[in-house]
Amino acid sequence: MIEIKDLHKSYKMGSNSLHVLKGINFTAQSGELVAIMGSSGSGKSTLLNILGMLDGADNGEYILDGVPIKDLTETKAAQYRNKFLGFIFQSFNLINYKSALENVALPLYYQKVGRKERQVKALNYLERVGLKEWATHLPSELSGGQKQRVAIARAMAAEPKVLLADEPTGALDSKTSYEVMDLIQKINDEGNTILVVTHEEDIAHMCKRIVHLKDGVIVEDKKIEQVRAEQYV
Amino acid sequence: MFDRDIWQEIFHTLRNNKLRTFLTGFSVGWAIFILVMLLASVNGMQNGFTNQFNDDATNSIFVRPGTTAKAYAGFEAGRRIQFKNDDLDYIKNSFPDDVEYISARYFSNTTARYKSETGSYSVQGVHPDHQAIEKTIVTKGRYINNADIVNKAKVAVIGRKVSEDLFGQEDPIGKFAEFNSLPFRVVGVFTDDGDDNAERRIYAPVSTYQRIYGNTNTINQILLTYNPSFDLPKALEFSGRLEDLMKRRHKVSPSDQAGINVWNYAEAFDDISSFSAVLNAISIGVGFLILVAGIVGIGNIMVFTIKERTKEIGVRKALGAMPKQIINLVLLESTFITALSGFIGLIFAWIILSLLGPAIDTPAFSNPSVSLSTVVTATIILIVAGVLAGLIPAIKAANVKPIVALSDK
Repeated sequence: MIEIKDLHKSYKMGSNSLHVLKGINFTAQSGELVAIMGSSGSGKSTLLNILGMLDGADNGEYILDGVPIKDLTETKAAQYRNKFLGFIFQSFNLINYKSALENVALPLYYQKVGRKERQVKALNYLERVGLKEWATHLPSELSGGQKQRVAIARAMAAEPKVLLADEPTGALDSKTSYEVMDLIQKINDEGNTILVVTHEEDIAHMCKRIVHLKDGVIVEDKKIEQVRAEQYV
Repeated sequence: MFDRDIWQEIFHTLRNNKLRTFLTGFSVGWAIFILVMLLASVNGMQNGFTNQFNDDATNSIFVRPGTTAKAYAGFEAGRRIQFKNDDLDYIKNSFPDDVEYISARYFSNTTARYKSETGSYSVQGVHPDHQAIEKTIVTKGRYINNADIVNKAKVAVIGRKVSEDLFGQEDPIGKFAEFNSLPFRVVGVFTDDGDDNAERRIYAPVSTYQRIYGNTNTINQILLTYNPSFDLPKALEFSGRLEDLMKRRHKVSPSDQAGINVWNYAEAFDDISSFSAVLNAISIGVGFLILVAGIVGIGNIMVFTIKERTKEIGVRKALGAMPKQIINLVLLESTFITALSGFIGLIFAWIILSLLGPAIDTPAFSNPSVSLSTVVTATIILIVAGVLAGLIPAIKAANVKPIVALSDK
């Protein structure tokens, strides 16, 4: 599903150049649930940005579902993001003046799905994250856990090939964190490919594979026994 | 563009930022309001001027005799010039193609009496053409005609005030009033938009008065209108020729302004036309500058809005919004605010003008209003302005990197 070969990325900081990614090689199969770990400055967020087509690589190859991602225009990148990727952010990034339902329907709007169909689909996804009754509520009326579940429903709504989660539990307490991870695990059980960036060991161990990043290179890549979050909920 | 969802988003944003929307809109609405009011005021001034001059035909020329100020052709200075009937005929015959209407004026005063009512009025002995030159509106009966002149008939056309004073509610037509004890038959009543004083006047055939007062053939003034197809240079050239001719005829020095005075309305009218054209240009210029300030205000606020919504725009882009769609959203929002608030300003100005405009009728300022074309132009300007105001912020918004939304710093 995801194929990365010898990926390099450096940032210019004034006259200095900061080499963040120093040759990453990484492959993820369809249906995997991968945790990307690393301390801050290890390059994990940069890697996620490149995977999410929010940032371009300097060197190397990136193939997503057989499509080489290279030299994208803004418009093309937008189309690919819409088609291939769903984002889950640490701070949820819901649009605060739109109801839960409208938030979930937004990626469908950009896919030019008709209004009625959009509503039905969005409600369906809200139901799957257990928030059907909250459809008309604004984000400000929801708890942190509920917000993240809306965000997950939004990421799912476009039926992407890959879900990218950047510290999805970073802003939540441990109980809600497990609830969210439980949801992510269930979505993964249905065969969705998910990449989770985290620095929390227990969250990482709820995935099926852990990739450790340090100073811009992968230092460890191992399959693990998944800890089900269900038992903590 | 007419996507329901986009409009919903715009209304959402506006509703959530009421104060900001109001302040932004106010600057443009105010600018349009001022622009329209300025144009209407200039229009009002123009109307005022035109009304004042419209009392007389705008292509009229007055020829007045005076007292010479310079010795010329063997005559000493201080000689009184006297016009006679043949001066009128002379002008008519000399300029058959230039003169449209021509009339003499013979000034006199009279004490008029009808039954027990009396009053003192000024009388002008005139020719039938005088009606067209003075734009006299006859409301009842008729004006002096050629038969009256030939017959030296004792008939009179009286002003509305004279009729009220002497006849009250009675219909004066056909009645006889005594002017200095001589019976005159009233044949017409006239009104004058110019002023009330004009309506205290009496017109009579010039020949009748010349006979009553010593059987003379003298006249006090000659009025004429020139061919209405003349433009200003041609009109001035004609009055120049007329002046030369009359001065030569009466042996007045060509440089003597006091001996014979020829006054052409076109000169004054031309001054006013160019004056109001300049005023118009100035007010359009000032209005535009104010509008530019309003537009810059909107642009400014849109830039601020974009900055405030950077994260939201980043999220939208992460969710697959194309740059084009972001530009659309911002442009439509700014155009919408500009157009709506501009319209409100326009309607406000229009309401004030249609309420107060007709009530204002002073000599220098009358019925300020704006034409439909001004309104249409203002509308087009508004929409263009809205697009311009939103353009830079929209491009800025489209360039927001979605990466910004991802970083939680």
